Amino acid sequence: MMDSMTQKAGIIAAAAFGVVLVSSAGYSPVLAQGLPEGFKKGDLAPEPSAEMIEAGKRVYFTKCVWCHGVDGAGDGPGADRLWPRPRNFNQGTFKIRHTASGELPLFDAKKPTPGQNDLFETVTHGLPGSAMPPWEGILSEEQRQQVLSFVTTQLVKDRKFTDKESESQTVLQLADLKPKPATDESKKRGGELIVEKKCVECHGMEGRGDGNAFNLKDDWGFSIQPANWHKCWNFRGSRQDPYNVSNIFRTFSTGVNGTPMPSFADNTSVDERWDIANFVNSLCERDTLGNPLPIDPLTDKPKINFVIPSDMVEGEIPADLEHEAWKKAPKRYVAMGGQITHKPRNFVNRLDDIWVRSLYNDKHIVYLIEWDDRTKSVAEGKLPWAPTQVNIDIKEQDPKTGEEGSIAAQQNNYAVYNDAIGIETAVKWKELPAPIKPRYLFGTNEQYPMDIVKWEADGSLRAFKGTGWDKDFEERDNYEEAMKLLKAEWKNGRWYVMIQRPVGNKKDQDYDEDTFFEVGQYIPTVFFAWDGHNGDAGRKMAVSAFYYTFMNPPVPQETYIYPVVIAVGVVLLEGWVLTRRSNRKKGKTL
Amino acid sequence: MKALMSLGALIGVAGLLLLGGMTFDVVPSNTVRLVEGYMPIQLLLEVACFVIGFTGLSYMASAMGMALPRFWQGIGFWIFLMVYLKYRVYPPIPFSVRAMYGTVGLVTVFMWVSANEEDWNKFKQPIMNVLDAQTGMNRLLRYVYLVLIPILVGGFSFNAMMPKSEEPIELRTVHPAPPASTKVHGKTYTLQTSQNPYRVNPEGKYDQEFSNANIVEQGMGRLMKPNANPWDEKNQGYLKYVREGGEIFFQNCHFCHGDNLNGRGLHAFAFNPIPANFTDPGTIAQLQETFIFWRVSKGGIGLPNEGFPWASVMPPWEQHLTVDEIWKVVLFEYWHTGYYPRTWD
Repeated sequence: MMDSMTQKAGIIAAAAFGVVLVSSAGYSPVLAQGLPEGFKKGDLAPEPSAEMIEAGKRVYFTKCVWCHGVDGAGDGPGADRLWPRPRNFNQGTFKIRHTASGELPLFDAKKPTPGQNDLFETVTHGLPGSAMPPWEGILSEEQRQQVLSFVTTQLVKDRKFTDKESESQTVLQLADLKPKPATDESKKRGGELIVEKKCVECHGMEGRGDGNAFNLKDDWGFSIQPANWHKCWNFRGSRQDPYNVSNIFRTFSTGVNGTPMPSFADNTSVDERWDIANFVNSLCERDTLGNPLPIDPLTDKPKINFVIPSDMVEGEIPADLEHEAWKKAPKRYVAMGGQITHKPRNFVNRLDDIWVRSLYNDKHIVYLIEWDDRTKSVAEGKLPWAPTQVNIDIKEQDPKTGEEGSIAAQQNNYAVYNDAIGIETAVKWKELPAPIKPRYLFGTNEQYPMDIVKWEADGSLRAFKGTGWDKDFEERDNYEEAMKLLKAEWKNGRWYVMIQRPVGNKKDQDYDEDTFFEVGQYIPTVFFAWDGHNGDAGRKMAVSAFYYTFMNPPVPQETYIYPVVIAVGVVLLEGWVLTRRSNRKKGKTL
Repeated sequence: MKALMSLGALIGVAGLLLLGGMTFDVVPSNTVRLVEGYMPIQLLLEVACFVIGFTGLSYMASAMGMALPRFWQGIGFWIFLMVYLKYRVYPPIPFSVRAMYGTVGLVTVFMWVSANEEDWNKFKQPIMNVLDAQTGMNRLLRYVYLVLIPILVGGFSFNAMMPKSEEPIELRTVHPAPPASTKVHGKTYTLQTSQNPYRVNPEGKYDQEFSNANIVEQGMGRLMKPNANPWDEKNQGYLKYVREGGEIFFQNCHFCHGDNLNGRGLHAFAFNPIPANFTDPGTIAQLQETFIFWRVSKGGIGLPNEGFPWASVMPPWEQHLTVDEIWKVVLFEYWHTGYYPRTWD
């Protein structure tokens, strides 16, 4: 079943890719049969003035050239260590647009109006999830228009923004199309349509972008991944407004030029497109009440809470995800960045967040870690190094390789290792005067070690002691027998791993190498994640900052008694004030 | 006067509606966006708008004979202050600081309403009226308060006593004292006397004036001087090395410190402490070039304890770059931000 799905997806993707190739060669199939619903014919914008272009060159060579290169071919000094690679402007292929598939984007050097100037909005808001930052607040509106004038006239070489012979503008009238309310009915219909329109063949059954993760290529021949609908803050076209359904509607209507994502304008009605957009939007991560997550305006990612609370349960800790206790347990977003401190640095980490929940009882603490990984990776055969080995032979990406050797070209060509997750907690944390901790990367030294618990996709669950970033791990006495893997499952692009470990006591555990968990205390915790298909192993991994595991103490009895006492006190006080006032008044009138 | 005041009142109403709407999510909370780099001035302007608005509102109200009693003016102002501090100001102000502002605000309000005997009497009159309960309305209010106050106080104390988990506050020294010298790739550099070997004029002589004349211009965008393009093939000396430093920066450093050197790189969102923002006048602009050389070479792991070496992901760049490359990157960072390094004299 799964195989035939993948196969079918491959064919569809190849076909879609073909369509995009043809359309980007200047032929627009849309126009032949009249305009698709929701689109109107537009005019080409006039050429920007020579002064604008000249001024833009100055902006370009200060800010942009470092990634996009001297000729705008996307081959600047920074390019080879980036994936996705910086845009090659030469072909005039731009992804986020209001125009029909294959057409140039909207750009008017005189009109920085949202909705009518695609390139301006891209520069203003950046492309989240890629290295392109928002330039608002850095470059003035005029400077952004200037640099775009330079790029569109001098660096786009194969097409011409003002050539009426070869170019046309068919513009999505997004401002006139009112979003359909996101009712259950609309979402339900959208959910059916994404199967019918075969969206799921690339984006996956649950929309985690895992449908056809290996075979997709962009126009420039580099691997490309379907979007993960659960992380709307990483949508390139989200315009720093990730939960806005109009952005999804736009991308779905116009397609993404240069990629296998086609436009669906011709085979869906506007109404159907809103249903699909509503459904896709509803998949994006939300809090327990169903509200959008608060987004940090400084990072354009969900806001971070560094405390991971653990709730107490009576008796056994359930291994069932659907259990009431897990549903009630607060879920924390843990941001993951590439390990870029020591060699081999991981410039492109394909795992950029994990979700953590925790429960404890008198003997154990359990971490439930979920994360999206488009590929389930298990190494074939035996790995060429011991589990304790930290300094292993993995090469980091060279800074200057040219396109063929670049990190983008390496994608999906790595030797496949195990997907893995690591929980690292400070040993003897209570003896360290706050805020001192052992170093985040495998501890500081023998005196300040780290307790590392690592699960790998081959099913192993191991415990190590870390004494420094370049020191091989040390085995731990009997901790592994005391741990238990309650769950480890990969389903539709997501891992669910549940790890149970002892809270620690001096009789059964070793105080010098195991973390002892204590109720009501902040226990420094770091997470590591490895994506086997990214060639992650050893120090090539994703890391989090320091978080704190906090076992919520049961509510003490005083919490219920004292407030009542205080309230009674206030009532007495009120009586006193009233009597005093009325006595005084009587005295006065008498 | 009246026209002016009514304009003020209009601003006040619009501002209050907008703020209330954004606080309670009636209108999107980013309707009036705070833009990085302009936040302080934006907030000051907003506050100025509200001052104008309140002036206009109170003038209009009293002109129409609906003047708000002093009592409600005082309370309203204080509530506005707290709401504004909590929901509008970004990045968020911790509760302890807000409590301090709140107390100061409360004292101010009291000073204002008790400036003279007459004002004070006006202010406390509503309280006395409720206590005396001469009218039916006041009697009702008195009973409501009698019940409500104990419940509220009890509720708050219950909330305060419930065990909570908040991230412990840890204060980090951002620029710890540097050592007298640092050893990189086997060579010792004395911080007081070392110089950036690439800060040279086209003839190859150390030349601070020449390099300072060729850094980017301050002001919006921080663009390069029109005739000082580091990508010009003919460059010799300083600008040639700036370009080489930039190449190294965009192969290594931008992942955290960002394309605009503002600490907003691709991986920055995951890390704590967040990467340094070089465009902030409080970072490299305050430091000597040799200090940066020491920080770059030794990285987070080389920090003294007050700098939190355990949490910083800053690489010790001596593991990745040569001494020459480090000097060039430092050169580039000053060029791109348009700052001069501090000197010892």
